Amino acid sequence: MITCPSCSHQNPDGATHCEACYTPLPVITMIDCPSCGASVQSDASFCGHCGFDLTAKTTAAIIQPQQEVSEPLPSPIQVPEPVSAAEPDPFQPVEITPDDLTEIITMPVSTAPTAAASPSSNPKTQLQRITASLLHVQTNVTLELPNNLQVTHLGKPNNLIPPDIDVSGFPDSDIVSRVHADIRFEGDAFYFEDTGSSNGTYINNVPLPAGNRHRLRPGDRISLGKGDKVSFIFQMTE
Amino acid sequence: MSVNLNCSLSDRNLDISQPSSQRQLAIRVSASTNADSSGAPLNLCLVLDHSGSMGGKPLDTVKKAARELVDQMYYTDRISVVGFDHKASVVVESQTLDRPESVKDKIQSLRATGGTCIDDGIKLALQEISKGKEGAVSQGFVLTDGENEHGDNARCLQFAQLAVEYNMTLHTLGFGDHWNQDILEKIADAGGGTMTYIQSPEQAGEEFRNLLRRVQSVGLTNAYLLLELPANVRLAELKPVAQVAPDAIELTMQNEGNLIAIRLGDLMTDIDRVIIVNLYINHAAVVNQSGSIPVVTAQVRFDNPVMAKSGILSTPVVVEANLVQNFQAQIDPQVQNHILALAKYRQTQLAENKLKQGDRIGAATMLQSAAKTALQMGDEKAATVLQTNATRLQSGTELSEADRKQTRIVSKTVLQAPSNS
Repeated sequence: MITCPSCSHQNPDGATHCEACYTPLPVITMIDCPSCGASVQSDASFCGHCGFDLTAKTTAAIIQPQQEVSEPLPSPIQVPEPVSAAEPDPFQPVEITPDDLTEIITMPVSTAPTAAASPSSNPKTQLQRITASLLHVQTNVTLELPNNLQVTHLGKPNNLIPPDIDVSGFPDSDIVSRVHADIRFEGDAFYFEDTGSSNGTYINNVPLPAGNRHRLRPGDRISLGKGDKVSFIFQMTE
Repeated sequence: MSVNLNCSLSDRNLDISQPSSQRQLAIRVSASTNADSSGAPLNLCLVLDHSGSMGGKPLDTVKKAARELVDQMYYTDRISVVGFDHKASVVVESQTLDRPESVKDKIQSLRATGGTCIDDGIKLALQEISKGKEGAVSQGFVLTDGENEHGDNARCLQFAQLAVEYNMTLHTLGFGDHWNQDILEKIADAGGGTMTYIQSPEQAGEEFRNLLRRVQSVGLTNAYLLLELPANVRLAELKPVAQVAPDAIELTMQNEGNLIAIRLGDLMTDIDRVIIVNLYINHAAVVNQSGSIPVVTAQVRFDNPVMAKSGILSTPVVVEANLVQNFQAQIDPQVQNHILALAKYRQTQLAENKLKQGDRIGAATMLQSAAKTALQMGDEKAATVLQTNATRLQSGTELSEADRKQTRIVSKTVLQAPSNS
């Protein structure tokens, strides 16, 4: 089923011109994501489900980050476990007794200093907050979302709401509104919201009506304006 | 007299790596003239609105145009005139045109009074036309300037369908700005004719002449396009057949055994009728090697009024497509233009529907795409009209009655410059 971009008529598969208004239809062929098996558009660079980089050839190299991404927020209890399992030797002199462990469990705040004090080679685990970034598809530039902000404004320089992420430097940025969209961080999730842009926003090629929120998942493709000209892939790192 | 039948696909080549392809088939049909055969005489009925609103200059110019029309007809032709206000009366009974002066005098005697009842006018016209329909090309011109206030629009359509069954063609002419373009278009489409818009009284003479020239070039009547599709070809689900030239009309089809029959009506000698058929060709099952596969067999069934023969069949034409390995689109530019013409019409229709539902922004956007389509096919006049109306809608102004009519006309036809029409 191909929905006509002009008149919303539902055309059967294989149609190249809309049966109702004869608008040329986008030629979409679907392929299966080699990583998660979801069907994705053949011209997509990333899988919209798992964030798999479809431009890369090897599956093995990519599976690891995919696991990282899908892993939930590490709870404080989980933190010491992989460290002690992976490197049992450095822990022996420290002698963590079962009492210590219960202490860690009951007092999660003390976990971070403990982990930092241990000679762990994985300092990333101490970060409690998720940071997110946007990968600009056309130029392959990664923009970190400022992690002290509850609301990140996307757009171009203006007097009303200065953008936290300024896209005016990217090609085709003329289709992006000066006040285009917000990314909100609430609870443990990011939400995308179009704040009344002129040319709209498309999440995974589906238009996002102004005022509607979209809960961002890693790998979501955000296109500002029509024509998929200024597009970002949403990514999360721990 | 025989039939010219030409078929071309929007792209003859099919990609072998795809399971199925969508193609449009453009079918051009016209009557071919042989030097020795002359056309059949015309059996024309003028159905003229002389309601009160026509009073003054409009009725005077229409009467003048009608009298000029009589002068341009041949002595072998038949004419009848029906006048209507809120009821209809026969002004000139069906007769061969051997005393044109008395016909013209009777036309001149029409007086403007009363309301408008189109269906009674059409009903009387059918009676008059049927008196002389043997061996002639039967045509009716219905001219009105107002809403069908004393009549029933559904009844009009029934009469138009009846006219088609009797092998008569009804053309409609809208005069001024207050007629109903929906009903006149439906009458013309159902009656197998064309709709004309006479915006100002001065144009009446010229539009009458254009229409007369068109009906005088009718060589064959009651034509049906017969299509036979192989099992692997299917029609599109929505409105698969439409005429795009000389004007855009959605065509209805009926099944006759394994054939699909589409009524075309009259065939002209100098104007091609172009029909677009939207098809899906499933070629996965057919062959796995390059080669040509049949797509459709087309044939025309028609009546020849001169020889008083009906149901004559033309030689069938088989349309084939090529399955190719390394597919590259090779779009037939002429077919592409016909498709754009249909796109322009459909997009304008969608815009008008949106406007009726109160979605002005949607209607403006749709009109804008229609304007773009018109520009793409090189129809600059239509593009200007459509774009102006789109801008008007966007700025929050209503479309005037004249704008709406103009929109309908430019979407339906490619307007000709007055010099070459």
